[in-house]
Amino acid sequence: MSMLERLKKIFTGEDEEAKKKVKKAEPETPTVTEEKKVGQPKTPKEEAEKTKTPSTEEEKKEKPKPKRSESMTILERDENLIKPEDIDEDFAQQIKDAGAETLELCFQCGTCTGSCPSGRRTPYRIRQIVRKSLMGLKQEVISSEELWMCTTCYACQERCPRKIKIVDIVKLARNEAAKAGFMGPVHKAVGSFVIKTGHGVPINPETQELRKRVGLGELPPTTHQFPGALEEVQKIMKATGFGELIGYNWETGELE
Amino acid sequence: MGFAFFLGCIMNNRYPGIEKATRVFMDKLGIELKDMEGASCCPAPGVFGSFDRTTWASVAARNITIAEDMGMDVMTECNGCFGSLFETNHMLKEDEEMKEKINQVLAEAGREYKGKVNVRHFAEILYNDVGLDKLAEMVTNPLNLNVAVHYGCHFLKPSEEIDIDNPEKPTILDELVEVTGAKSVPYRDKMMCCGAGGGVRSRDLEVALDFTREKLINMKEAGVDAVINVCPFCHLQFDVGQTEIKDKFGDEFNLPVFHLAQLFGLAMGLSAEELTADMHLTSTDPALKKLDEITGGE
Repeated sequence: MSMLERLKKIFTGEDEEAKKKVKKAEPETPTVTEEKKVGQPKTPKEEAEKTKTPSTEEEKKEKPKPKRSESMTILERDENLIKPEDIDEDFAQQIKDAGAETLELCFQCGTCTGSCPSGRRTPYRIRQIVRKSLMGLKQEVISSEELWMCTTCYACQERCPRKIKIVDIVKLARNEAAKAGFMGPVHKAVGSFVIKTGHGVPINPETQELRKRVGLGELPPTTHQFPGALEEVQKIMKATGFGELIGYNWETGELE
Repeated sequence: MGFAFFLGCIMNNRYPGIEKATRVFMDKLGIELKDMEGASCCPAPGVFGSFDRTTWASVAARNITIAEDMGMDVMTECNGCFGSLFETNHMLKEDEEMKEKINQVLAEAGREYKGKVNVRHFAEILYNDVGLDKLAEMVTNPLNLNVAVHYGCHFLKPSEEIDIDNPEKPTILDELVEVTGAKSVPYRDKMMCCGAGGGVRSRDLEVALDFTREKLINMKEAGVDAVINVCPFCHLQFDVGQTEIKDKFGDEFNLPVFHLAQLFGLAMGLSAEELTADMHLTSTDPALKKLDEITGGE
């Protein structure tokens, strides 16, 4: 935030000192200039500054290196640069193989984020998730809390000019997150309800009463009424390893 | 005409009046609904699909095999169930490799997916198979209500596969609602999600409620008497959500919520008790009172 404020000051000419500092940092952090170009139109003052720079270069070097504010995270190279070890080349392939081959078609237009009702109120940025997934930034994608803020409403996917199956990408990235242990405790609980009852939202005594009142069977004709059917669901979930995924103990019927 | 009636979870386990209205209504229309005995959770597309795609598709495929044994197409009145079952059915019909993989899992439970039936949504059946004219004949108590139609997400999207109506500017539900005499009022961001899906309601309730609150504000501004939905999960999000929004943010909307099946129930003369509309957490009285004033309490 303070980064933006500082940039604003530079452009409005309110902070000459800060301008020099940022210019000094330029060669090693090209992202700053990127931000400037994209962020706001250049003021005439800055244009003038650019043309007369070479003569002041010596003078600048003699000044002590400005201490970077801790909040200027964009300048903290070590933490913010993408390094080869951050990239998991298999990640994008896993997503593509699982059915979202369209991942690589993204040209980062941002229509998805612009259409996203979650992004209006949360830090969820679907364009970034698609880009990071394609780049193979697996750890960053699967460990982010935002990944779980998509309601799967398909607004992004419907408007994507490249017809990318964006919601599939999100769900498949979540599959990887779940495998790596990033599934929320509440979600594990919902999973355990299906193992135990066949229903994500099982019946309760109030609804049983209500069902009787309107002349429906006290229990619906689902796994609630047919124990053999529930066993089938359990066999399926055992075969796919779902119990292990959510940490369900088949012996005790509890989550670990 | 008949269908394998897929119940799901929230309708039968929370709002049985929706199920009741559907059974009465379809019976009057001469459409046979046969129970899919032993069906389970669909399971939820954004939730189980997010956890493990194979488990999600296998449990969904098992549900579809029940309808295959009955030799009938599936009917569901929940967008989430529709999403899971339709999408799985579509995927397994198209992708032979995936079908084999899922069938290996199903074999453990003595089942096999064949790809012989279709998955249909209640509202789309009413519109395409029954038709507006026949529906109009069922209306004995025209409803003089102004309503906000909430489409939800998985009813029409992903539209490339589902292809029921235009996902940005649909009319199917508005036309269905207006058969009852109610007026569908346009409102801002009508096609926006209720906020509940994708596991957001369970994992991050405040984010989900923030969606719902925005939709309710827009509906209120349009001056409607009720919200009409075609998904018990959206229904729950608007009904229970209003009480949660009051607790967390202090806003009170008092906007009654009805599933389309309940709206048709009212138009056929079923009572609020039969529709379990008297048990909603957000009182349906304001809308019911308006109807009473018009019909003279009949």
